[in-house]
Amino acid sequence: MPDMVSIAQPIQQSFNPYTENGGTILAIAGADFSVIAGDTRQSEGYNIQTRYAPKVFRLTDKAVLAVNGFAADGNMFVKKVRQRLEWYRHAHAKDMPIRAIARLIQTMLYARRFFPYYVYNILGGIEEDGTGAVYSFDPVGSYEREACRAAGAAQSLVQPFLDNQIYFKNQTPAPGTSFPAHLPLQTVLSLVIDSFTSATERHIEVGDGLEIYVVVAKGSTSAQGLQNLRGVQELTATDDGERVFVVRRELKKD
Amino acid sequence: MSIMELNGGSVIAMVGKDCVAIAADMRLGNQALGISSKFERIFPVTDRIYLGLPGLATDVATLRERFRFRVNMYTIKEEREIQPETFAHLVSSTLYEHRFGPYFIEPVMAGISKTPSGAVKPFIAATDLIGCLNFAKDFVVAGTASTKLYGVAEGLWEPDLEPEDLFETISQTLLNATDRDAFSGWGCIVHIITKDKVVTRTLKGRMD
Amino acid sequence: MFLTRSEYDRGVNTFSPEGRLFQVEYAIEAIKLGSTTVGIRTPEGVVLGVEKRVQSPLLESNSIEKIMEIDSHLGCAMSGLTADARTMIDHARVTSQNHAFTYDEPIKVESVTQAVCDLALRFGESVHDEEAMMSRPFGVALLIAGIDELGPQLYHTDPSGTFVRYDAKAIGSGSEAAQSELQDKWHKQMTLKEAQILTLRVLKQVMEEKLDQHNVQLAQVTQAKGFEILDETKLKEVIEGM
Repeated sequence: MPDMVSIAQPIQQSFNPYTENGGTILAIAGADFSVIAGDTRQSEGYNIQTRYAPKVFRLTDKAVLAVNGFAADGNMFVKKVRQRLEWYRHAHAKDMPIRAIARLIQTMLYARRFFPYYVYNILGGIEEDGTGAVYSFDPVGSYEREACRAAGAAQSLVQPFLDNQIYFKNQTPAPGTSFPAHLPLQTVLSLVIDSFTSATERHIEVGDGLEIYVVVAKGSTSAQGLQNLRGVQELTATDDGERVFVVRRELKKD
Repeated sequence: MSIMELNGGSVIAMVGKDCVAIAADMRLGNQALGISSKFERIFPVTDRIYLGLPGLATDVATLRERFRFRVNMYTIKEEREIQPETFAHLVSSTLYEHRFGPYFIEPVMAGISKTPSGAVKPFIAATDLIGCLNFAKDFVVAGTASTKLYGVAEGLWEPDLEPEDLFETISQTLLNATDRDAFSGWGCIVHIITKDKVVTRTLKGRMD
Repeated sequence: MFLTRSEYDRGVNTFSPEGRLFQVEYAIEAIKLGSTTVGIRTPEGVVLGVEKRVQSPLLESNSIEKIMEIDSHLGCAMSGLTADARTMIDHARVTSQNHAFTYDEPIKVESVTQAVCDLALRFGESVHDEEAMMSRPFGVALLIAGIDELGPQLYHTDPSGTFVRYDAKAIGSGSEAAQSELQDKWHKQMTLKEAQILTLRVLKQVMEEKLDQHNVQLAQVTQAKGFEILDETKLKEVIEGM
């Protein structure tokens, strides 16, 4: 047997700074509201780390951020965004508008172009003109305002369903009628819940719990149907007019 | 490069009330390059059984002929038409014969069988590329758009759909799923199988 | 070493026993030597006006630049050591562009004013391994005009880094007379046209030469057009309408 020293080979050691923690997020913009949702399972490989790790965060009374991908990066990113929001409030004596938050997130992500935050962001809320908005980002800051977006582990399951049910893709309206440009809040909430139960059914990384944030514009009637919803809680912090609610639901845990 | 994604294509089958449906896209590609928009990947096995063969195009042709041969042999020897359940096992064992050098196909099948009492029983099944059977009660999917098909089908499908509603459901599922898949699309074909007839429709979808 | 009272004005960052920073106070004095500059805020927008001292008939009067653009919604007029204003306006422009780049929105008038004033007190002896600083205070005062979500605004900054918002403000050599005139004539519902004329009237009063389109300059910031310096033709029209 040859001695160990003579056959010893140099070993390349490496550290992988990223993991993928599963889960799915989703946001839909209405005419005067925005819905931002995410499941609460956090996993690594086949191992469930926790059944309750929030991925959706209230930033202000008119902006909610959902973060999916590498959880450590996600949590740190939200912390940094909140810090910038606070600085902005001190420097400019107002809450940052959602359009400005969207641009800020781009610059923050692109600043790490060569060591990115391994996260997909979806920002939802109310624009300065009172319309519901959804902004979606890639990990290095490409962004776009759109009406709906899914991201994360079950993006490929949920997005085509949303294309069909929100954008009415591949559907033709009855003669003389047209599809609504924006759906009512109740319909949107049903679609969100359906999307997540479907994703939970078919994807192992999705499940346990569901948190649906609803941001409602100043003076909107959409808030009325919300109060007596099961599992709803109001999170509004200021009396600026916009209101934030969260609806918590259980998802299958298998 | 994955062999399963070389030529692209997807198939889905769904159960309805006394009926089944099977549908597929019509794209044949060479990786990102589109070659044909008239490629058939669903074939009739009997009057009431249809077989979808998503996967490697060369194996689509080979397996179609192989199954035609084996079903003909069955019909001659047994002197009766093959039943969907039996055919599913035929598919499974044919594929498993090539356990360590498989055909790169994940078959999907749909059919209806008549019970001795005369009632109609819808049947769908799918296997992986080595023949592991999946008898689902709702829907089965396969191909490059399978994850998308699962998502949409899970959201749209409901039990006991009448043939026309089943047609709408399977069409919407296939169209919307393949629109989000670069390797599937370029036209669709849908077969609705009921106890006394098969209705085949080609769908106009986006061609990009 | 015993420091006489007058020696307190040598160090730029040394307080006198009475708690004064003489160099800063002298810098404020320097502005009173500058040409008269006027700013007026109205609900329609803000008007800026400056006197251009044309010391020689050979001087190209249009080369005197005392009103400058900061951004499309922000303008600035100066009085005092106008060369110092370049540093400040450069900083204001960079701040404004950075804000638009980072936040995809125009910066507020107050925020850009604050940014300029943050510069004002960065003078003195630089400490070990600190970046080199300016040796003396700025010798210039600015009138910063702009429009943001809070409407048209006019800010005044001085070498001490203090800034205050005004409805109408005059700075420079003729500022005392000009300011009292503004106090008399300014009213809340002034139109932009009235403000232009008032600006010129006030300048005319304090100017030694006869006012014409060569020795004054007017600029305005409006919601519709943002910041613009009035060209000679437009200026002439306003002068004729006085």
